[in-house]
Amino acid sequence: MKVPLYLAVAQWTLLFAFGLLLIVVFRQLGRTLHKDDAVVPLGPEVGSKAASLEYSRFADDTVQYLAPGDGQPTLLAFVEPTCPSCEKLVLALGTAEHSGELSGLRVLLLTSSPKSYLKVSDAFRATRLECGRILAQATTQAYGATSTPLLVAIDRDGMVRAAAPAIELAEVRTFSRACSFPAAGGESIPITATAPQHETDLEAAAPAAGAD
Amino acid sequence: MDVLVLCAKTAVACLLIVAGGAKLADPASFASTVRLFIPLRIGWPLLSAIAVGVSLGEFAVGVASLTFPAIMALDVLVFAIACVFVAVSAIGYAFHRGRSCRCFGALSQRKFDAAGVLRGAVIAGIAAVALAHVNAAALQLDATARVLLFAAAALLAMTAFTAARARGAGSRREVVAQ
Repeated sequence: MKVPLYLAVAQWTLLFAFGLLLIVVFRQLGRTLHKDDAVVPLGPEVGSKAASLEYSRFADDTVQYLAPGDGQPTLLAFVEPTCPSCEKLVLALGTAEHSGELSGLRVLLLTSSPKSYLKVSDAFRATRLECGRILAQATTQAYGATSTPLLVAIDRDGMVRAAAPAIELAEVRTFSRACSFPAAGGESIPITATAPQHETDLEAAAPAAGAD
Repeated sequence: MDVLVLCAKTAVACLLIVAGGAKLADPASFASTVRLFIPLRIGWPLLSAIAVGVSLGEFAVGVASLTFPAIMALDVLVFAIACVFVAVSAIGYAFHRGRSCRCFGALSQRKFDAAGVLRGAVIAGIAAVALAHVNAAALQLDATARVLLFAAAALLAMTAFTAARARGAGSRREVVAQ
C-alpha cells in the first residue's frame, strides 16, 4: 500500500513536535527534581536591611526617595497593572487601608510599568494608595521581586519583617499579623494596627521569602 | 519541492496546535497579554473569554490545516494568521517591549523584542511557502488517515497543554518586566 506523501511528511513533523514537547517536559522534571527553581528566591531575606529605593510617584510625577529605617514602618507591594492577581491585591490593600487596618503604616504600590499602563486597570486607577514606578532595576533585584504580586513589610528600623506573595484580603490580614515582632518585654508588637482574627492563620507561611 | 511545501504546511499546523494547547493551560496569563492590545477598558471575564477564543481558534485552524491539506483556503487563512503574528510582534516591540508575549503559554518565556518580530516573520515565511502548489495526488487522504491525523493533533495539543501546565506550575503571577 502506497502512503500519500503528505501523510508521511505529517507523521515526521508530528514526531518532531512530540519530541520537542517531551524535551520541555523532561527539562521541567529535571529542574523540579534538582530544585533549580529555588536558586531565585522570591522576596528579600527576612531580617535583612531593606534597600533604599527611588520611584516616580504617579500622582504628581515626582521622583521620591524611600529610605527604610526613617522611623515609619512601610508595606511595599510589588504589583503590575497587567496582572489579574495584582489587581485583587490592590483592591484588598485599599479595603484594608479604608478600614483602618493599615493605619500608621506607609503603604506603597511599586510597579515597573509606566503610568500609561494604569489606564487599563480599574483597580489601579481607582486606588488612593500611593503608587509609583521603580526607577532602577537594581531595586527589583534587591527586593527579590522576580514575580508579582509580592508584599514586603519593613519595620521602623528598616529591617525586612516579612516578604510573601498575597492576593486576597485574608492573605493581606494574615500577612500583617505575621509582621508582628517581639518587644523587649516579650509581648508582640504588630507592625500594623490590630487585624481581624477570623482568617486562616498563614503566619508560618507568610515570612517564607524563598517560597515561589 | 513538494516535500518542502508539505513540511512547511505541517510545521505551521503543528505550531498552531501547540500554541493553542499551551495557551489553554493558563488563559488568565494570556489574557493579561491580550489586554495590552485592547485599548478599551473591559473586564477580566471578557478578556479571559477572548484569550480562550484565540487559543481555541489557533487550535481549530491548526487541526483543520493538518487534516484537510487539500483545502487551499486553509493555507491562506494560516498565512493570514502568521501575518497577524508579525503585526502583533511588531506592535508589542514598539509599545510593550520587554513584556512577556506568552505566545506559547508557559512553554516559552519569550518577550516582545526584535528577535520576536524576526521569529514572526520566519513563521510567516514558512506559511507563505506552504501556499505553493503541490501535486494533488500527494494530498489525497482517506477517512482513516484523517481520523488518525485528528487524533494525533488532539494528542499533540494535550501534550502541549500538560507541558505548559508543568512548566507554569499553575502559577498566575506575572514575571516583573524591566
